This record gives sequence, C-alpha cells and structure tokens, in this order.
Amino acid sequence: MSYNGALKTTGVVALPPWRSSLLFLVLLLGLCALVGRAVYLQGIHNDFLQQKGDARYGRTVDIVAHRGMITDRYGEPLAISTPVESVWASSQQDEAATPEQVRQLAQALGMDARDVKNRLFDDSRDFVYLKRQIPPEQAEKVVRLEVPGVSLHREYRRYYPGADMTAQLLGFTDVDDNGQEGIELALQELLSGKAGSERVIKDRRGHIVEDVASIRAPKPGSDLALSLDSKMQYLAFREIKLAVEQHHAKAGSIVVLDAKSGEVLALANWPSYNPNNRDKPATKMLRNRAVTDLFEPGSTIKPFTVATALEAGKFTPDSVINTENGVFTVGGRKIHDTHPYASLTVAQVIQHSSNVGAAKMGLSLSPETFGSSLSEAGFGTATGSAFPGEASGKLRDYHKWMPIEQANMSFGNGMSVNLLQLARAYTVFANGGELKPVSFLRQDAPGVGKRVFSETTAREVRDMLELVVQPGGTAPQAQIKGYRVAGKTGTAHKVEGGRYVDRYVASFVGMAPASNPRLIVAVMVDEPTGEYYGGLIAAPSFSNVMGSALRLLNVPNDAPLGNVMMPPAGDDAKEET
Amino acid sequence: MHTAILKAPRAALAEYDQMLTWVVLALLCIGLVMVYSASIATAEDSKFTGFHPTYYLVRHGIFIFVGLAAGVAAFQVKVETWQKLAPWLFMAGVLLLVLVLIPGVGKSVNGSRRWLSLFVINLQPSELMKLFAVLYAADYTVRKGVVKHTFVKAFLPMFSVMGLVGALLLLEPDMGAFVVICSIAICTLWLGGFNLKVFGMLMFALPLAFVVLIGSSPYRMQRIKGFWDPWSDPFGKGYQLSHALIAFGRGEWFGVGLGASVEKLFYLPEAHTDFLLAVIAEELGFVGVCVVILLFAGVLVRAFAIGRQAAFLDRQFAALLAQGTAVWLAVQAMINIGVNMGVLPTKGLTLPFLSFGGSGVVVNCIAVAILLRIDWENRRMMRGQTI
Repeated sequence: MSYNGALKTTGVVALPPWRSSLLFLVLLLGLCALVGRAVYLQGIHNDFLQQKGDARYGRTVDIVAHRGMITDRYGEPLAISTPVESVWASSQQDEAATPEQVRQLAQALGMDARDVKNRLFDDSRDFVYLKRQIPPEQAEKVVRLEVPGVSLHREYRRYYPGADMTAQLLGFTDVDDNGQEGIELALQELLSGKAGSERVIKDRRGHIVEDVASIRAPKPGSDLALSLDSKMQYLAFREIKLAVEQHHAKAGSIVVLDAKSGEVLALANWPSYNPNNRDKPATKMLRNRAVTDLFEPGSTIKPFTVATALEAGKFTPDSVINTENGVFTVGGRKIHDTHPYASLTVAQVIQHSSNVGAAKMGLSLSPETFGSSLSEAGFGTATGSAFPGEASGKLRDYHKWMPIEQANMSFGNGMSVNLLQLARAYTVFANGGELKPVSFLRQDAPGVGKRVFSETTAREVRDMLELVVQPGGTAPQAQIKGYRVAGKTGTAHKVEGGRYVDRYVASFVGMAPASNPRLIVAVMVDEPTGEYYGGLIAAPSFSNVMGSALRLLNVPNDAPLGNVMMPPAGDDAKEET
Repeated sequence: MHTAILKAPRAALAEYDQMLTWVVLALLCIGLVMVYSASIATAEDSKFTGFHPTYYLVRHGIFIFVGLAAGVAAFQVKVETWQKLAPWLFMAGVLLLVLVLIPGVGKSVNGSRRWLSLFVINLQPSELMKLFAVLYAADYTVRKGVVKHTFVKAFLPMFSVMGLVGALLLLEPDMGAFVVICSIAICTLWLGGFNLKVFGMLMFALPLAFVVLIGSSPYRMQRIKGFWDPWSDPFGKGYQLSHALIAFGRGEWFGVGLGASVEKLFYLPEAHTDFLLAVIAEELGFVGVCVVILLFAGVLVRAFAIGRQAAFLDRQFAALLAQGTAVWLAVQAMINIGVNMGVLPTKGLTLPFLSFGGSGVVVNCIAVAILLRIDWENRRMMRGQTI
C-alpha cells in the first residue's frame, strides 16, 4: 500500500463523481449524434449523394456496333470486321513511366521513342491515342510492359481477304469504321448498324470499373451478299492485271455481268492497292475506273447503230452498203476505214468494223430515232448501280446533232461511257432485245428488263457479232474452245482538251455462249503502248476470263472443242475509230 | 473442495478487462482489413509503393504487431512509474515537437511538417504527445489538487504549457492534435474538480479563441469553407469532403460490399488514413459505421468504468489517467468520424486503431495497455494483493 501512501502525500484530491458521469454522458451523446448523422447520410440523404457520385464517375459510353460482313454471292467473306486493340494513355498519373518503359513501349508499338514520350506526357489532354488498331498479339506485348497510364481500347478493323483484288469495288472504312469509298460507302447505312450505349462507372484514371446498366443494346449491321463471284473476280483481276502489265498500259478495267439477271459477277481494275494496308494509296489507285471513268467507246457502239437501222426497216443483214473504198466525206470531214472495201454487207460492216458503213447506216436514221435508241440502251444515264461517284457518260441531245456528229456517233465517237454502262448495254443482245438493270447485290430473281430492240433484231445482231471473232473478223483471239462467242472490239483515240490525240483505249465487249448467252464480259485497256487494237489487247483477256468463267459455271458447250480457228497472220484486227 | 475448483478458472479469467481487450482487437482487425481494401487500388498504381498492392497491408500489419508488443511491454510498467515519468515524458515530447520543426530533421508531407525520420520508421511526435499530455494532465491535476480553486495557481500553469504545445503543433501545422490535447487538458482539470466558475468562463473563451485561430490562417479558413458547403466548390475546396459524403450515400444500410468501393479508386484522397471511415461506410454501409461507433463506445464505457473504479479505490492519478485516455480516444474518434460525415471541418486526424499510420497505432496500443494495467492493479487491490 505504499503507492496509496505516496499519492496521498501530494494532497487529497476529491474527484467529484458527477463530473465524471456528466463528461461520460456528453461523450456518449456525441457518439449517438454521429450515429444519427450516419442514418441521415446513408438512409435519407443517400439519393442526392448517389446522384452526385453518379455525376462524378458515371459515364455513358457508346458500344460499338459490329459492322456487317460483306460476302460474295456464295457467302465467301469479302470484308470482315475483326477485333483489334487501340493503345491509349491517360495523363492523369501520379507516377510517370520510366525512360526504360517508354523505350520498350515505343519498341513494342514500332514507334519513335520521342513521339511516344510526347504523347505520354501530354498534359493538355486527358486522353490520347498512342496507336490505333494493332493486332492482338502486339497488344499483349504492350500490356505485359505495365506502363502506368497506358491502356487498351477494343475496336473493330475492317479486313479484306481479297486485298487488291476487290479494293476499288469494296472501298474501305475509316478508322472509326465508317465507309469512305465504294460499296462500304454506298451501303454504309445497312452495314454500320446502330451503336448502343451503356452506363458505366469509371475510376479517376478513366478505366471502366463497373457496368451499371445497358441503356441501348448495339444493333449490329446487316451482313450483305454481293452479286460478286469471288472465283470469277479472281480470274478477272488476274487477267486485267496481266493485260495492263503486258502492254505497259496506264490502266485497265474488266466487268463480268450475268447476262440474264444483270448482276455484276466480277469487276476489277488495275492498278490496285491493298486496302488492309493503312498507308494511304495514291488517289488514282482509289478510283473504281470501271464505274467512275469515262472513255469514248468507239466501235463497240456499232452494234447499236446496226440494230437501230435494222429495227427501222431500212436494212437487212444482207443489205449491201457502198463503203466508198474506205473514205467518206460528211460535212467537209473525212471518215476513214482501216481496211478499205468498195462495198460490204451489214454483217460485214460489223465483222470488219467499217466506220464508213456504220456512218452511212447511222445517217440513214433520223436523229430522234438514233438518239432515243442509244438512250434506251442506257447511254448517257447512270446505270442505277448506285455506286458512289459513278459517271453517267455523255450523250448529246439529238435535237442539236449536226450530220457529222451523227455520223461519228454511229461508230462511237463524240460520246462517252463507263465500262459498266457499256457491258450493261450489251444485255440487249444477250436477252432478245431487253436491257437488264445492273446490281452489285445478289438478286433472288432476275431484274425486270426493258425492251429496246425486237427479239429478231437482237438475234440478227448477235449473229453478226459472232462473225467478229471468226477469221476475217477483228477479234479472232476472243474465241473460246467449246463455246461460241459474240462480241465487238473497240479501239478509240483518246480525247484530251477537246482534241483527239494518238493515245488509245482498246476494248472488247462480248457474250458467250452465243447460242444462249450466260455471261457478258467487257474489257477496257487504257493507253496500251505498242499495239493498241482492241482485238489484240482486250480480246485475249476476254477469252481467258470468259472461258474460265463458263467452265466454272459448268455451262454446257455449244460448239465442238475444235472450234477455235486462227487466221493466217494478218492485220484483220486493225480498226480505228 | 468442489467450489474451489469451480471458482479457480473464473478468478483466473478476471485478471484483466476482457471486454476492452476484445473491443480493441476487433477495432485493430477491422482496421487492418479496411486499410488493405482502401489502399489496394492506389498502392497497385503508385510507383511510391513499387506497384505492390499489399504495400499498406504489410506495413499496417507490422505496425499492429509492433503496437501489440509495445502494449505488452507497457503493461509491465506500474502506474506509479508512469506518474513519476509523466513530467519527463512530457518534456521529451515537447523536445520532439521542437525537433520536428527543424528543417532537415523533420519531414514534410503535403505541406505539413509532422514526421521525424528515424532510419526505417517515421515517428510522428504529435501522436506521442497525446499520450504524454494525458499522463502530464493527470499528474498535474493530482499535484495541484490542493489549490484547485485559485485560477492563477491551478489553471494558469496548465494553460501556459498548453499554449506552448499548441503553438508548436500549429507550426507543423497539426490542428487536429492540438484540439485533442486541449480537450484532454481541459477534461482532466474538469474531472479533477477544479473551479466551476473558470469552466464557465472557458465555455465562452474557447469558442472565441477558435474563431480567432481559424481566421488567422488561410489554410484553416479554406478547410472551414470546404466543410460549410462542400457542394459549392466540389472540385476545389469541397473535393475531399464531397467524395467522403458520396461514399456514405453510396453505402446505404448494408454497403456495396467489401472491396467494391468506387471512391477509393483515386477519387477520395487519404482513403486509407483520415478518410478510412468513408470507405467503411461505402463498402459496409450503415451497419459497418455503427459497429465501429459501438466499438468506440465500448472503449469509452470500459475506460470510464476503470477510471471510476480507480477513483473508488482512491487512486486519483490512475482514475484521471484512465478517464483522460477515454477522452483522448473518444474525442479523436468523434472528430475523425465527424469530419468524414461533414459535421466538422477537415482536421487531419486519424481514426484511432483503424487508420493507417505507425505512430498512431503503436501509441494507441500503449494507451490501451496502460488502461489494462490500471484495471489489473485495481483488481489486485480489490483482492488485497500487492501490485
């Protein structure tokens, strides 16, 4: 008890118990008050506070809708959206990345280290992309580096298995997956679908930590089946590329149509580019020349002149026309034939591609009859394919035609067409005089045609077109083993600044099997060097594509296999319009 | 024979205050779990922690271990010894408070110079000072008991000493510690039965002094403004508080679930120290907050009971020490909780036993050990045993 004794020596301190009780009570009341405050905050005022919280870190974010796939007519994919990762950085960091991390990151991304550093430490923005749309395996490398503030963002990127084969036809999408060119642009509405949105909670660094509610589910874009046949597309692309390269031409296009339905089975251009490569190709590569570029068709128009003249009853296929030994003067201008003849039958005019003969037949018609016949065959108006940037072609109003213009028009000068338009016009000869609508989308039933010529006329002209590929015609190289071919060559001077120059467009449009055409193939080669006749430049490509395509479709032969007869070396192929 | 066997274990169990022990252990455990939960996201994303998500968990665990060890050691010290040491410890505390202000010796964090760097650990002298203030105030009150009705002899020396300590603390600045130490001093004098009239005067003088104190510093003024209406400037002055309040609102009655707090994801600063309760409120809801407050009430009840028991046994120093400790822990907890709930301005005070912080946890453990020692001595005296 020594302790108590020691305490007492310092003086007696009476501790009043009531003071202790009062203090205890006050402190206990304080704790009770805090419980009361907690009830208010957590049970009564909580809606307001949660609303404030939601304003701080609740965000509505878009959910990217999956872009629809584009396939060919058999479901082969032509354009697919594949998931990719985009790397972004947030500048709101407590800790900065070390120089070593920056270097590794730059290496993983294949970027300049200084560029990465600048973006990473850009305080002016909360959110900055380092690199968009990298493949998953590269993204994994980036994640493994664990650089502070660097995150991934899922995006979709368009992949085109056909690469340069279908480049201009399909077009491409931008980095936000919106169609920019071609089919991608034309059918943007259908393909893109509708982005959804959802409510999420983000942490202060911008990472989504919780999905609160889905506001609207994303509506994925529709998958679209084109009318294209990818095997035929490959054939067409290979041949046009070969033709352009072989003849050192500027460019070339090829169109394959289903003769019955008007569907586009193949459409290819060269030069082309790889749309999977993000490097921006030159503008001239982007153009779908077969649809957007115009050229003077030349002799490929002659069958329409002849058909109109036959339809008017002024000629029969066997009518003889004085072809004036190859020179004929209209309104002070001379019209020449490459192969001068004193006279030719109507069929021979087509076979030898006589300008004089065609001009005489054209001039026998009233401008109204001739002009409206060309219009009805689709010249001078867009094809209705709805392809972005399609050029409609020029056909002057027949009210203002001068005789020389009418004569020129008879063999395809003084007007312009695009290749698709030209190929489509030939459906009239393949379908008993009916013009078919063209389509890039697969059709369940053939489109309803529009009658331009009578069935008899169409058949008569088709018979004449068969002569073109026979020995003595301008395009024996267009012949195909086992199939009868009907077609027409075209070799036209190019027009530059309103004047004809010594550069050419060589073309060939044809159909097969001639007995009951299934396909129409139109080939156009722009500025070949050296030889430039359609029968030499375009006809071989036609033959290769058409022959392979017919075999691909298992079209029954309508000629014996030994049908191909090449003429002794001659210059029948030459023509110039 | 039989009765002796039955009674033996009960007597052995009653050697110490079990309720207080379990309450404090519960608080320490909740603290450990919640410090981990509150710090995991920031620790994982910070270079300062070396990107270790368990950085704070490991350290807090070590602090608790050291605290328990220190508590066991402190339990061995007689209350009599504490009384003898009280003035010396207090002087040592003042010395540390001076040291911490010397540039190069004291370490500054977030504009406050509160830490002394001792090789591996950072010592926070203001935490120690709270314990020393309790000891000193109890000893002072006992010594001045004979003159308790004269203002000059009984009150003035204490006020001068507190003025000095207060000035040192405000230089750091550590307003929270100052308020706690003032509360301890005044409450101990009040318990000691000092003149009622003086306390009546203090009821007027103290609020006035606080107003002057707050008005004198833009730093404190800003905190007051932020507290008054956090929604008027929620991204500036009211940022911290508004996020704490949002955490309470999100928690509702049962919380969003352990680990599911959003506020701790870089929004709420000091989530693992001063604003730990906000994270508890968000993750464990009103239930969690109530459990914490009830546990503190448990500490308060036991500490006062021990104090009154000591007073009953005529152990004035022990009685004042126990009740002073109760005032310290309760006031600090109440201020911290009040700050979290937006009823008091932001002070920079931790929640005893729960918040992350080595000095705080260790000193709190020592304080509880002293309480248990007083109780142990009480029990022995009641049984007529020697101490």
